[in-house]
Amino acid sequence: MISVKHIHHSFKVGKKGRENEIKVLKDVSLTVEKGEIACIVGRSGSGKSTLLNLISGYIAPTKGKIMIDGTDVTKYSEKEWAAFRLEHFGFIFQSFQLIPSLTTFENIELPLTLKGVHPSERKQRVNEMLHRVGLENHAGHYPNELSGGQQQRVSIARALILNPSIILADEPTGSLDSETEQEILEFIRQLNRERGITFVIITHDDEVASIANTKFHLSDGVLEKGEETVEV
Amino acid sequence: MTILATTVACAFLIVLASVGFGLQKSMTEQLMKEQIVTEINVVGKEGQSDQKVQKKDLKEFENRKDVSAIIERTNVFAPAEAKLGNRTNNQMSNITITDMAAEQKANIKLDRGRVAKTPNEIVVGYHFGKNLWTKKEAADYEKQMENNAKEAKEPKGYEEDILGKTIELKISKMDEKTGEEGEAKTYDLKVVGVTKKPSYEWASDSTVYVSNGMQKDITGFLKSEKDSGMIEKTLSVYADNFEHVGQLTTDLEDEGYYVDSITKKLDSINLFFMAFKIGLIFVGVIAVLISAIGIFNTMTMAVTERTQEIGIMKAIGASPNVIRKMFLLESAYIGILGSVLGIIISYGVSFLVNKIIPVILSSVSEGEASAAELSITFSHIPVSLVLIATLISAGVAILSGLNPAIKATRTNVLTALRREL
Repeated sequence: MISVKHIHHSFKVGKKGRENEIKVLKDVSLTVEKGEIACIVGRSGSGKSTLLNLISGYIAPTKGKIMIDGTDVTKYSEKEWAAFRLEHFGFIFQSFQLIPSLTTFENIELPLTLKGVHPSERKQRVNEMLHRVGLENHAGHYPNELSGGQQQRVSIARALILNPSIILADEPTGSLDSETEQEILEFIRQLNRERGITFVIITHDDEVASIANTKFHLSDGVLEKGEETVEV
Repeated sequence: MTILATTVACAFLIVLASVGFGLQKSMTEQLMKEQIVTEINVVGKEGQSDQKVQKKDLKEFENRKDVSAIIERTNVFAPAEAKLGNRTNNQMSNITITDMAAEQKANIKLDRGRVAKTPNEIVVGYHFGKNLWTKKEAADYEKQMENNAKEAKEPKGYEEDILGKTIELKISKMDEKTGEEGEAKTYDLKVVGVTKKPSYEWASDSTVYVSNGMQKDITGFLKSEKDSGMIEKTLSVYADNFEHVGQLTTDLEDEGYYVDSITKKLDSINLFFMAFKIGLIFVGVIAVLISAIGIFNTMTMAVTERTQEIGIMKAIGASPNVIRKMFLLESAYIGILGSVLGIIISYGVSFLVNKIIPVILSSVSEGEASAAELSITFSHIPVSLVLIATLISAGVAILSGLNPAIKATRTNVLTALRREL
């Protein structure tokens, strides 16, 4: 479960000494239950990316508290966050964020390497995952040799390889065509159904938001009252 | 290119330092060749400047396991000549009166024959026979020397085996003031042994070793003052092997004896060369430090070029330690690979140096010394030098990569991923 309580976040911009404080999130509180697909929707500049960054631990909130699976992660150090992310999270990025110098196999293998898994076990798990995402014939290909949909499936495979309880996705279909988008969204639904993985997806696209159990609307850093809970 | 720079720097360091190791090795080998390595000369004792140390003074050392012999010798420098038929040898360096049994235990190495067992038996140097010339041979040689010393050829001397021959040894008294020879005494002595050939081609050994039994007769005849210079007594302690010389030298010094041994000379040489080698290594390290600048640049560029990669890794859960280790390992790889290649190249250069320099020196010396005679090791690479160079190169490489590695750990994830905030 992800619990965000009274989060305030602002950025300082401008020259030192003459900085302006820009409030990006204003008293945002939300809860994502275990096994849910939660979408945070809003227009560009609404603060949804900032909220996801806070939940991911890439930045620390100016004020407020973040609890994930019962652990208060608000004041975690960089080292603690790195270990926590590796243990609990998988990430899917809009622009895939695959390492260009690594093959499909190696990109998916990366979290296992960071975790210190034995090479023989790594090989077995990656091959299983390649089969799961339908990329067994592309193991030796580099990201620039794959289509957008294939790259996103690699990204999803990398996100799943350590069996995380939570996947954070930032506009997962933003760079894909509509047909591929549907494939990816169906895949997300399938993972949620079969494995009970909690998804937190940020999007400005209603089509994407339609797969969510719960929707949060952000507007100018404020969470609009009344979360939607939808039977999917 | 960075690996190449590290390779060249490491090779330079090793080759430069190898000169120190090589020259030290040459000097040590030269020294060990020149003298008997197990010999410790006792030249005096603290508080006894007017008295010579005698063998009986070293009684407590005689029974030690690491002592093979203690030998007291009397060297006679009076004018002497040896005769065999019509041949005369007046080039004897000295006559040494000694304990033959002890000599056999400790010192003397024979080419053929045995040590003397009776007073009228002697052992002679390897070239003793060669220096037995007839009057004609001596006169011809003198003439050649007058005309053209460079082209003068020494007579072949007595070409048969001197072993078993009886020679007449004539020892003469000498007026210490005028230098004129006086009364002489002749001894008939049988040659029963010939010493081993000297290590150096240019050395000529015509020493005559006379048994202790002749001591009273010869020294009594000469009746010299003990410090006249015609008779000199020496005392030497011989260790059973080279490894024990150091300890034996220390033990003798602890008892107040003034000693001279190869280990003392080696200690002085080793101290000098230690300082010399440190200096050479210091200069070599400068080259390594220069290559370190290249490694620093390479790693800094690598961090900049791989910012997105670092960001992705941090985003999915790589800790700062992992990022730092990754770049330090890359620096270490450059250092170690450069070291390995540098070591290979330096062995090759060392081999060539040792082959080529003697040839160059030989040609420069206008043939006075052949390449074989100049058997000096100019460059020697012991394992310790390889280890030192590898440690320095790899260590400097890792240190050079430390700052870029730390910089990599500070990469901002969002900036690296170019996320909108």
